[in-house]
Formats: sequence, C-alpha cells, structure tokens
Amino acid sequence: MLELNNATIKFGGLVAVNDVSFAVSKGDLFGLIGPNGAGKTTCFNLITGVYKPTSGSIKFKGRELSGTPSNKVAQLGIARTFQNIRLFRALSVLENVVVAAFLRHRVGLASAIADLPNSIRETQELKDQAMALLEVLHLDKVAHTRSCDLPYGMQRRLEIARAMATQPELLLLDEPAAGMNPQESDDLLRVVRQIRDQFNMTVLLIEHDMRFVMNLCEKIVVLDHGCEIAQGPPEAIRSNPKVIEAYLGEPV
Amino acid sequence: MKYWPTRVVSILAGLGACFLISAAADASGNDYTKRLVVLAGVWVILSVSLNLINGITGQFSIGHAAFWQVGAYSAGIISVQHYANSGITGLPWLLLMMVAGAIFAALAGLVVGLPSLRLRGDYLAIVTLGFGEIIRIIVQNQKPLGEAYGMNVSPKFQFTWLVWLTAFAAIAICRNLLKSAHGLPFLAVREDEVAASAMGVNVTRVKVTAFLIGSALAGVAGALFAHYEGFISPQQFRMEQSFIILTMVVLGGTGSITGSVLAAAALFYLPEKLRDMGPVTGGQLMAGAFATVLAVYLVKRVIDHFHGTKKEAAIRHLGIVLGCMALSFVLSIVLNQVPVLANARYEAEKLRMVIFSGVLIILMLVRPQGLLGHAEFSWEWLKRVLGQRRSEAAQTS
Ligand SMILES: Nc1ncnc2c1ncn2[C@@H]1O[C@H](COP(=O)(O)OP(=O)(O)O)[C@@H](O)[C@H]1O
Ligand SMILES: [Mg+2]
Repeated sequence: MLELNNATIKFGGLVAVNDVSFAVSKGDLFGLIGPNGAGKTTCFNLITGVYKPTSGSIKFKGRELSGTPSNKVAQLGIARTFQNIRLFRALSVLENVVVAAFLRHRVGLASAIADLPNSIRETQELKDQAMALLEVLHLDKVAHTRSCDLPYGMQRRLEIARAMATQPELLLLDEPAAGMNPQESDDLLRVVRQIRDQFNMTVLLIEHDMRFVMNLCEKIVVLDHGCEIAQGPPEAIRSNPKVIEAYLGEPV
Repeated sequence: MKYWPTRVVSILAGLGACFLISAAADASGNDYTKRLVVLAGVWVILSVSLNLINGITGQFSIGHAAFWQVGAYSAGIISVQHYANSGITGLPWLLLMMVAGAIFAALAGLVVGLPSLRLRGDYLAIVTLGFGEIIRIIVQNQKPLGEAYGMNVSPKFQFTWLVWLTAFAAIAICRNLLKSAHGLPFLAVREDEVAASAMGVNVTRVKVTAFLIGSALAGVAGALFAHYEGFISPQQFRMEQSFIILTMVVLGGTGSITGSVLAAAALFYLPEKLRDMGPVTGGQLMAGAFATVLAVYLVKRVIDHFHGTKKEAAIRHLGIVLGCMALSFVLSIVLNQVPVLANARYEAEKLRMVIFSGVLIILMLVRPQGLLGHAEFSWEWLKRVLGQRRSEAAQTS
C-alpha cells in the first residue's frame, strides 16, 4: 500500500533520512522506531508532503506521492497525528474533528453562506460523524470543551480522532503514547487495534515506548541517524545486535 | 427545525431593522445625523469584512481602505461616464454599481492576495500596506479621477436603508459561514496551517477566498459611500483609515463578528464626540489617560470575575472603577494648578490617532484577544444568560 524506495532528504549538510526503503501492506500494524533524532518524524513529513524528498520515491497505492501537497495527500487517504500536538487550539473538541471530516464535503460555499437547507443538513451529518468518532476515543463527554483546555492524554487521543475523521486508509501516528501513564497507554493499545480491526485502517506508528511497540506491531523498521538499520517482526528486532547498540544497551 | 418560518422571520426582521434605522435617521430632520447613521453602516461593513480576513482566517491585512477606495472610485467613474447614456436609473443603477465596486475590489484583492497568500508568514501585511499607497498614487495622477483634489460622483443616491441592509448582509455572510461546517477550515487555517493542511484543507484557497470576499465587501462599501457623499478624494482613504478599521477588528476581538460591529460603531462615534468637545488642557489630558489605563485594567478584572463565581469581588472592582473616575477628575483639577499644563491646549479631534494608538496598546497589554475574544452574540447565549439568572433566583429564594 505504502512504499518508500531509497527515500532521502537533506537539510543543508544534514542527511535526516538516508536511503530508507520499506513497504507497508494493507491491514498492517507497522512500527517505525529509533532513538531521538533518528529521522522518524521526518519520514512522516516526507510521506505527507510537508517536505519533498531530495531523492528516492514514495508511492501510495502505486501513485507517486513526492511533491504532492499535504492537503492532496490527505484526500488520497493518508492522515496523521503530530508528535508535538497541533490541535486547533481555540476550537472545540467537536469542531477539531469536523474540520477533518469536512474533507469529504459535497455542498458548496455559496450554499453555506446563504444558509441553505442542504448546507445545514450536511453540517449536522458531519457533526454526527465526528461525534461517533469521539465516542470511540471516549471524548464525547468533552465534545464542547475548547481543545486547548483538555488534559494532555485527551489531547493525544483527540489528535487520533481528528486524523481518523478524514477517513484515511493509512493512519500515521507520531508517538501517540508519549506522556501517557501505563493505564492510558494500555487503553490506547486497545484503541489502535480497534482502529485496524473495526475501521479497516492500516496503521504506521512511531513510538518510543518499546513495550507498546512490541505488543502492538507485527512489523517494525528501525532507523538510526537517518539510516535504516533493521527491519522485521518484533522478535527479530529485539535480538538484533545493531538495534541493541543503537539504543545503547537499553533493554529492548 | 422549522427552516422556512425562521428564515422568513429573520429576513423580515432584518429588513424591518433597516427601514427603522433609515426612518429614525430621516426623522431627525438633520443632515448631519443622517450622514452619521450612513457612515456608521459603512464602517460596520468595513470592519466586518476585515474581520473575515484578519480575525476569522488569521491573515494580517493592514490596507483594507485600499479596497474600499477601489470600490468607490471604480463605481464612481462608471457612474460619471456612463449613467447618462445607460438608460438605467435609480436603485437598479446603484445596485449595478455595488456589483461593479465588488468586482473591481475583488480583482484588486486577487492581484494583491494571490502572490502573498501562497506564502507562509506576514507578506500580506507588507503587500497590502504598499498596495494602499500605490492606489493612492495612481488616483492622484489620473485626471478623470480628479487627482489629489477629488472627484464629484453624480448622480447621488442616498438610501440609508440600503447601506444598513448591506451591513446586515455582510454580517449574515460571516455568521452563516461560521455556523456551517464550511467556516471551520477558515478557523483551522488561523489556528494552525500545517495541521489544517494535513487534514485536507487547501490552505491557499481558503485564504484567497476569505481575502476575496473581504475585499469585495469593502468594494461594495466604497460604491455606497461614493454615491452617498457625491464626492470622493484620496484624503478619505488614507492609510490612517486602514489603521482605524484594523483597530475596530482588534478591539472587538479578533474573529468575533459581534465585536467588530460594536467596535465599529463605538470607534466611529468617538471622534465625532471628540469633535464636539473642544480643546482640553494638558492637565485634563494626563488625568484622562490615567483614568483610561486604570479603568481598562479594572474592567478586565471585572469581566474575569464575572466568568468566575466571586460576584462580590466584581462589584468591588466596579466600585474601584468609579472611584478612579472621581480620582482622575480631582487629579485634573490638581494638575491644572501647574501653569504649563493648564495653559497647553489640545484639540480633542487632533488627538484621535493618539487615543486610538493608546487604546490598542492598552488592549494588547490587558486583553490581547480583544474585548469579546472569540465570543459571539447568539440567541442561545441570551437564553443561557437569562436562564442562569432565573435559576440563581430560584436557588436563593
Ligand atoms: N526542517 C528541518 N530543518 C533542519 N533540520 C531538520 C528539520 N526537520 C528535522 N530536522 C533534523 O532531522 C533530524 C531528524 O529529526 P526527526 O525526524 O524529528 O527525529 P525523530 O526520529 O526524533 O522524530 C534531527 O536532527 C532534526 O534536527
Ligand atoms: Mg519525532
């Protein structure tokens, strides 16, 4: 479904992502791990069109992505969350999700400005869709709270709800469990499985919490200093000497 | 919900309000009052339309008067040159000129907006500022446009109700937009362009759309203004005017339509009041400044307390505000004992820009989100406030 072939990006002298290749198939729970500054987030930025790769290609369902603007990528069916939470702060929780659901709108701007019945109906439909997603992520009770007033863990979940609202085929999660306590992180584990099994989304996720990744993912790619150092199922990754070295002896 | 009944009622109410305003202005039998009512409407259109660009979409346009000017001059020159042989008269012609003003202003908006809105950052501020000067220089060098002296626009059309109907339409456009899901991408662009884009929002398109609608509305205001006054000159659209419109938007609360309308009305009438006031002495000026700073600060405290529960504290602060007013009155008498201050005379009207700047600075210090923040007036809000009162009354009894 998603295919990176020798994707490379340089920022001045720094090669943030160096010759990285991996393929995510439909239905995967795919992990992307590596120490801080390894280039994981940059990979997401390449896929979602924030940056254009210096060389190499990124294909989604056989279509070349590099050079496609972010909003186009979202329309093609790839949605993401942000490591440093980027919610629409002054908007309510519900509104945050409706912005994303709006991607699939049909009614024109003129109808909205004239407040015509079809626009009112569509707005209601989008709100209902958004509300249903909020229920999945247990955010329905705070639907009308300003998103910046939410506690941290909820903001992270809202990031996921918002990304899901674009109805993507591929969901990119950037450190979804960062800053969560074990309880929250266990809940999240269940939610991510549910996203895959119930919503039929393929998930590619970056995560620091090794327990989380090893529990969840079926395939893992490890980056270090922009280079891909290992690829395979969790068991193989756990015992790979290069990975152990990269993590400086941290138990993996 | 009953769609059509509410629609018909609100449209009728809007029309009724326009004619009431118009009738009240006419009933005053005073041309000066009537003109004030019309100009207030024009300023409401200007501030509401700039609010769409700056407040709702978060783009920093600081030359809004330029689009007002484009609308005024384009509609004006078309009227002067083509009215006589057009065969159209009265209201239809004015409506046609409003459309012309909108189109020309929107075209100007496209030329200015398209290159700068594609980029992230504050290019728009610089470009709109420059555009205002360019338009002024172009007008000042065109014989048919009356150069620096100004141009007579004939025929004059003085429909007070139409100005206010347009103002209501501008308000309705923004309100409907924000009410529907279509408005959310605009707000999302204001909040975070990267995230908006990742959620599928075409950021450039949203920005340009807001800019075009905003410019077009300013153009309509220009056409109405030109035909009401019957005379326009570059003086009326100088940079200072852009600054005033911007102050209205910022003061009202960036993004709040209600705030823009209220601030437009307040800041429009303030200078008119100052004009009536005559000169003030240095002592009065200093005391006034002191009182304003203190009052604004305390009013903020009062507002904050009303959000909380401590009503007594709110009342105490209100008392302090009144105390400050009295204190500053005493202060002005004391300061006027100093001959230098007592003998200095300032024309209140000339102090307008000083006051506006002062208001802006104070606002940025104590309430950067503007007086209303993002809050809007709505019937639900009114019901909620009244309901709260009632339930409080029920609890205490
Ligand atoms: N826009 C940019 N300009 C310059 N350097 C960047 C930029 N984005 C990321 N980098 C660098 O690329 C490297 C990888 O960053 P990142 O992908 O955020 O790491 P992580 O794996 O922790 O998510 C870091 O050294 C970072 O400083
Ligand atoms: Mg990262």
